[in-house]
Amino acid sequence: MANDSFEKETIAQSLKNAGYSRRDFLQLCTTLVATAPMGLALTDKATPAQIAKKVAKAKKPSVVWLHFQDCTGCSETLLRTSKPDVADLIINVISLDYHETLMVACGHQAEDALKSAVNDNAGKFVLVVEGAIPTKDQGTFMMMGGRPAMDVLREVSSKAAAIIAMGSCASWGGVPSADPNPTGSTGVDQIISGIPIVNLPGCPPNPYTLLGVVLEYAVMGKLPATDDLKRPKFAYDRVIHDHCPRRAHFDAGRFAGNFGDAGHREGYCLFKLGCKGPVTHAGCSTRHFNEMVDAWPIGTGAPCFGCTEQKVGFRIPAFSTVDPHTFTPPDTYAPISSSVGKFGAAAAGLVGIAAGAIGGATWAASQKLASSEETIAAEAKPTSTPVGGK
Amino acid sequence: MTRWERSVPVYGVPVITRGFWALLGLIAVGLGLIAIREVVGLGGNISGMSDPFAWGLWKTFNVMVLTGLGSGGFAVGIAAWVFNNEKLHSVMRVALLTSVLAYWTGLFALGVDVGRPWNFYWVAWPATWNLHSPLLEIAVCIMLYATVPLFLENLPPVFEYIIYEFPKLRGIAEFCESVMKKVYPVIIGLAYILPIMHQSSLGALMILGGNRVHTLWQTPFLPLIYVWAAGFLGYNCVVLCLLLAKLAWKRDVDPEVLSEMNKITVWVVYSWAAFQLLDILVRGKFFHLFTDGYYSILYWVETALIVGSAYVLSTEKGKKLGTMFLAHALCALGGMIYRFAPTTLAFHAKDGATYFPSAIELIVSLSFVAIAVLAYLVAVKKLAILPGSNQDWRNMARYEEQVKPGIKLTGYAPAQH
Amino acid sequence: MDMTRREAFKNLAKGTLPVLAAGCVSTVLPGVAHAEEEKQAPEGALGLLYDATRCVGCKSCMVACSQANDLKPDTRIDGLHQAPPTLNYFTKNIIKLYRTEDGSDHSYFKQQCMQCVDPGCVNACMFGGLRKDVETGVVWWYGAKCVGCRYCEIACSFHIPQFQWDGFNPKIVKCELCREHIAKGAKQPGCTEVCPTQAVIYGKREDLLKEAKSRIAASPGKYFENRVYGEHDAGGTQVLYLSRVSFANIGLPDLGENSIPSGLKYPHAVYKWMALPMALFAGMVFFANRNFKEHDHHLVEDQKKTGLRPQL
Repeated sequence: MANDSFEKETIAQSLKNAGYSRRDFLQLCTTLVATAPMGLALTDKATPAQIAKKVAKAKKPSVVWLHFQDCTGCSETLLRTSKPDVADLIINVISLDYHETLMVACGHQAEDALKSAVNDNAGKFVLVVEGAIPTKDQGTFMMMGGRPAMDVLREVSSKAAAIIAMGSCASWGGVPSADPNPTGSTGVDQIISGIPIVNLPGCPPNPYTLLGVVLEYAVMGKLPATDDLKRPKFAYDRVIHDHCPRRAHFDAGRFAGNFGDAGHREGYCLFKLGCKGPVTHAGCSTRHFNEMVDAWPIGTGAPCFGCTEQKVGFRIPAFSTVDPHTFTPPDTYAPISSSVGKFGAAAAGLVGIAAGAIGGATWAASQKLASSEETIAAEAKPTSTPVGGK
Repeated sequence: MTRWERSVPVYGVPVITRGFWALLGLIAVGLGLIAIREVVGLGGNISGMSDPFAWGLWKTFNVMVLTGLGSGGFAVGIAAWVFNNEKLHSVMRVALLTSVLAYWTGLFALGVDVGRPWNFYWVAWPATWNLHSPLLEIAVCIMLYATVPLFLENLPPVFEYIIYEFPKLRGIAEFCESVMKKVYPVIIGLAYILPIMHQSSLGALMILGGNRVHTLWQTPFLPLIYVWAAGFLGYNCVVLCLLLAKLAWKRDVDPEVLSEMNKITVWVVYSWAAFQLLDILVRGKFFHLFTDGYYSILYWVETALIVGSAYVLSTEKGKKLGTMFLAHALCALGGMIYRFAPTTLAFHAKDGATYFPSAIELIVSLSFVAIAVLAYLVAVKKLAILPGSNQDWRNMARYEEQVKPGIKLTGYAPAQH
Repeated sequence: MDMTRREAFKNLAKGTLPVLAAGCVSTVLPGVAHAEEEKQAPEGALGLLYDATRCVGCKSCMVACSQANDLKPDTRIDGLHQAPPTLNYFTKNIIKLYRTEDGSDHSYFKQQCMQCVDPGCVNACMFGGLRKDVETGVVWWYGAKCVGCRYCEIACSFHIPQFQWDGFNPKIVKCELCREHIAKGAKQPGCTEVCPTQAVIYGKREDLLKEAKSRIAASPGKYFENRVYGEHDAGGTQVLYLSRVSFANIGLPDLGENSIPSGLKYPHAVYKWMALPMALFAGMVFFANRNFKEHDHHLVEDQKKTGLRPQL
């Protein structure tokens, strides 16, 4: 991995040296606009040409990438593109000064590489963290070069300008933190404070989200606006459900009942199969993966499992349905007059019995009185005959 | 046949009977259901009420219908005290007892029916009163009536009971009685004006229902016709109680009193029916009497029951006790149907909306009635309520003196004036 | 009955004359007493104008209303979709669809409180649980005075107030033109803010009336009866409607021009200054007093004869 630590070239220079055409660069900028139509100062109200101008002048930001308890998926997402050039492109836009998977060095050489990357760019580099950090037993569940990972993180962070927690594991613990979390895995912001941290949860997140954040920092000098969980608003401000291409099916009440059934094959809503879209903040519904349309879980017919959300992903079982928490007018209308009121059998029976009983008793009483043949007609003179008690 | 000269308790009959237990059981079930209602609310299976039919059995039946039935206190009272009908004095206590029980159980039903009873204390704070509201008039009037004049009017038998049974408290009871005597005309003045006001306001309530109340019943004169109906309903109830007393406890009847009550009932009914029909004609709704299907039939059924029964009462046949009983029962049924019509039977709330009480609503409603019946049975056995002759009193005195030695029920010196 | 004809007439007179007198007086009095003035909308009366011809039935207003008023959506039909069949205690605003049997004609109808100029519900409420704001004319529910008697539901011919049937602390729920939402800083009620076609708009009643009339004038024959519902209906309402199909079809009742409470003007006349009741009371006390003295005299006589304690 080239270590241009002494004199950072501009991004334009770097791309030129790598042999990229202006067209490729503009395409990258266009993709950036699609990634972040709003919420990013870099792309706000800007055309790709305008963005290209800004980006071209910026110096390649130095990036140190640390791996902890990870699967390397977040790195893979950067590389897993359909146009192999773009991965390369990304690596030419940022100066990836330390990356254990991609670099050649290993062993002591690798440790030296880290030291020099950190010291040479001290205070200026962006630290990207991938993977959760174990904290139990003084963090000895993961050792890097003989030291607990926790300590490595603290040391490197102390010299970083900003930290990007790439992926759910680095954001809040991810898979390693699933119950019973035997290693005490946690995200970066539970260990580090005092340095700006941006969380990019997802398993993995969209690579362009990372690119947007890094370039915003490199070109505009600041990190994008974040929410209360430190997630950039431009990518995490809405739930999957609100932008899902299958939303019309949800609203109309068309659902897939089982994998492979008619509804599933028609591409109907996967809510009943346990889709966590309604409670998951992420941009996947509009920014698919691998630069292919429908290359994302719901697009392939698999319900979203909520990988970005700490309370959802790896917590709520995959096929359990969730409360949509949303007001959803359906495809049906209330009539002008609707029927109200129920007519219970028990109640009707009770009325019948009561009416019958009272009616019958009244009749019986009147008959009994009639049998006495008593009358109040004028001929009957009132007498004071004493009447007994009973 | 006898002459009714005073009130005599039912004696020699146990208070705790099978009927007593049955009623108590029903009341217990009712109270249990009420407790559930207080926690769970009025929806679901608790009641059949819905927003179009916001008033169910408890308001419309236990309050609006049964207080009509319990109007004996003022209906008979006006005849007895204002029009000086001496013959009716002997039945005043029965009339008053039926009234107080109908009103108190009606108030209890109201308390169970309203959704936010804890705010009812505003009834005592005139600054909040919305004087335009008929319901306010009812609330204030009924509260006042049930707690002051109606309550006070029912105290004399209780004072008597104390005087006879608790010699130590005699002095206080006699004092209370004498105080009451001094203000009695004012008490009964209140006891008649207040129910006239609120029984008519009960009718005024449904004026706001507009054309949802079928036109045969909806009239600006609804208050007048409503209170007029209470007039004959009160008599129906009292006569039925008296005849049932004959059946249950072999109490003799006084033909003159009964004949007087029948007469009054007949005239009140005829004038009521005439006014109601006149009102329909003057409003130009004659054809609705025949062309409105269910509603026309309802009108004719209710009118036939009421007027037909009154007619029977005015004939010779009506003098027979059996026929009299049936006539008053059917007249009361018709009157209750009339009072029930504007709120429920002839109330077209909204297209598609229907109302039928739920089983729980019915049971609770019946338990309110059971409370009244139970209290009535206990009262007539313990207190001097039902009318009898002076000889009946002496027989009762002899019986009681055997059972409770030392009690003095006869041989009182003339009162000092 | 053995009584003379004279006695019969006397009894008839005794029984019916007073009642007839009361009846006559109560009919005459309204002419004598000054007629209760017809209530007018306050100067600053606010309201809505809903033009059914512009509504596309998107129901965004239902969603916006639930959000602006912190109401749970009514998802009882399938547990998922907000689909109330009618207004209820968690639906203050609803879009209903009128459609002919053969589907040849249809119209949407937005139903919420009409904010009447002389509301039946305000008139009915005993202690002022429902009150009409003096400046804006908005009719709102004041829980501290509400007893939960539901008379307001009986009194409203538009079927608007909804009672919370479940739970032990029930409320009366109805549209209050987003009174609290606006107090928190919103410029408009939720529904008008979100309506994509401006089918429902918010403003002062007089302005809305002008707007409605100008629309009618601009397209004569387009709107039913070339009039705006609510101008005079039921004494005037602050929520106005324009519709192509008949008002009856979309569920707006024909209530004439008299307000709902105007039906009570005769009964109110009877109680004017409490004059009649007081007079009746005085009369009855007078006669009762005279009769009581006579009755008491008889009681004393009886006691002398029988030795039995007289009963009051």
